[in-house]
Amino acid sequence: MRKQKEGSQSHLSTEGINTKFLYLMHIHDSAFPIGTYTHSFGMETFIQNELIRTKEDLFHFCQMYLHENVAYTDGIFVKEAYQQEKLAELIRLEKICDASKNAEETRDASSMIGKQFVKAVLPVSETPSLEEWYQLLQDKKVTAHFPIVYSLYAKDLAFDLYTTVLTFLYSSTVGLVHNAVRAIPLGQKAGIEVIHRLIPEMEKATITVLERDLTDLSNHAVGLELASMQHKYLRSRLFIS
Amino acid sequence: MNGKLDLHFAMRNQKTIMKDVYYQPPLKASRGLYVDNPDNITVYLMESSGGLVAGDRNAYSVRLDERTNVTLHPQAATKVYPAYNGSPSRQQVEIELAEQASLTWEREEVIPFAESEFHSHTTINMKENSRFYWQEILYPGREKRGERFTFDKCHTQLEVWMEDDCLVYDGLRFEPSKQDVKHFGVMGDYHYIASVWLIDKEIELDEEKWNHSSADHQVSITRLRDAGYLVRFLSNDLPRIKKEMDQLGRKS
Repeated sequence: MRKQKEGSQSHLSTEGINTKFLYLMHIHDSAFPIGTYTHSFGMETFIQNELIRTKEDLFHFCQMYLHENVAYTDGIFVKEAYQQEKLAELIRLEKICDASKNAEETRDASSMIGKQFVKAVLPVSETPSLEEWYQLLQDKKVTAHFPIVYSLYAKDLAFDLYTTVLTFLYSSTVGLVHNAVRAIPLGQKAGIEVIHRLIPEMEKATITVLERDLTDLSNHAVGLELASMQHKYLRSRLFIS
Repeated sequence: MNGKLDLHFAMRNQKTIMKDVYYQPPLKASRGLYVDNPDNITVYLMESSGGLVAGDRNAYSVRLDERTNVTLHPQAATKVYPAYNGSPSRQQVEIELAEQASLTWEREEVIPFAESEFHSHTTINMKENSRFYWQEILYPGREKRGERFTFDKCHTQLEVWMEDDCLVYDGLRFEPSKQDVKHFGVMGDYHYIASVWLIDKEIELDEEKWNHSSADHQVSITRLRDAGYLVRFLSNDLPRIKKEMDQLGRKS
């Protein structure tokens, strides 16, 4: 790992950075097997209740999801995990992350994705922090929530904090768009348009997240939380959460 | 004004008693009452100033010894007046529960007036076999005056810890001028948020009963990890919220 870090620092050419970026592109590929395509985090309840029907609805929903949910919850966990050097504090942070997710399905989804992520990247990457986390997971000391393990991975790969938060927000939102396109359903073109309109929103949200800390955590997106709690009572479901 | 109320409950001859009280106005506690049974002591929390004005701070500290059983009842809703001078009003609650102690905090109601700023922080430290029940309603403002999310900021934070384990970490941070409060993912057309926290490892509720939704009232339940339940409401029907909260208060 140290070699990789030194390597990236000594070749601060665009070429070096771009090549390294391929690792991140790879894990954000929709075919990367961490199961994001099976989770809607409550969105499916809104789709079934016909609150999200058009690409405009989807854009506004994702905009709300980014600014009122992720930027007040997981985005902050990504940032705080990145800045935390002490293991005991990192474990405490993950406990807070777990407890802050009230809706059972959303809480489980976050740790399911996190676990699959760790299992997928560990065999092919040298990331000492994730290895350590995996050990803690085996010992049942942590639950491997996705924002925490993603942050550890991106930091080990020497990506800066801004890139780490931005790409996390990208993956959280784009995953939802892909799922919505299948569930509503909408055409592929609509999905592409929504994602393009969301990219500037992701940038705004990242800048906001970088100014926040744990005291800013907020579950005020209560409608979404209730939708997640109600999800298991839907008659037919495409998604686990 | 800085109000303060420290309460300490202990067991004496198989009965919960209020062992120590310290108060500083405008906060005050009633005498201990034994309403239903001698096992449970009820104390009313009184606030004589009529509400929090910019810069006011109320601090509660509550300690329950082993096996005590206590119900605390805020006598009135917390009214938060405008933050004219830019300083927010604050409330701090710190609770320590010893082994097998049980605390019920009845209906904390917060009414943040237009242009007010309120921060409340509630921390509970409990043991594996102690129990904690908390009910809260957040109003959108003075509804009769048409105030709906016209306050500047309202932030409530509830934390429950069992030794090193975090059971609840629930922040609700509203800053309506900067947020998309009207989106259905946040409040939609609802005005009230209510929460009932039942932190009790033994409790079993009929989950389906607490999952229903209509145009002006929604309620859902979720299991907390190894710790009991949260029942959350989004509603425009205040009497119905209170009625259903009362049913939950009987822990059925």
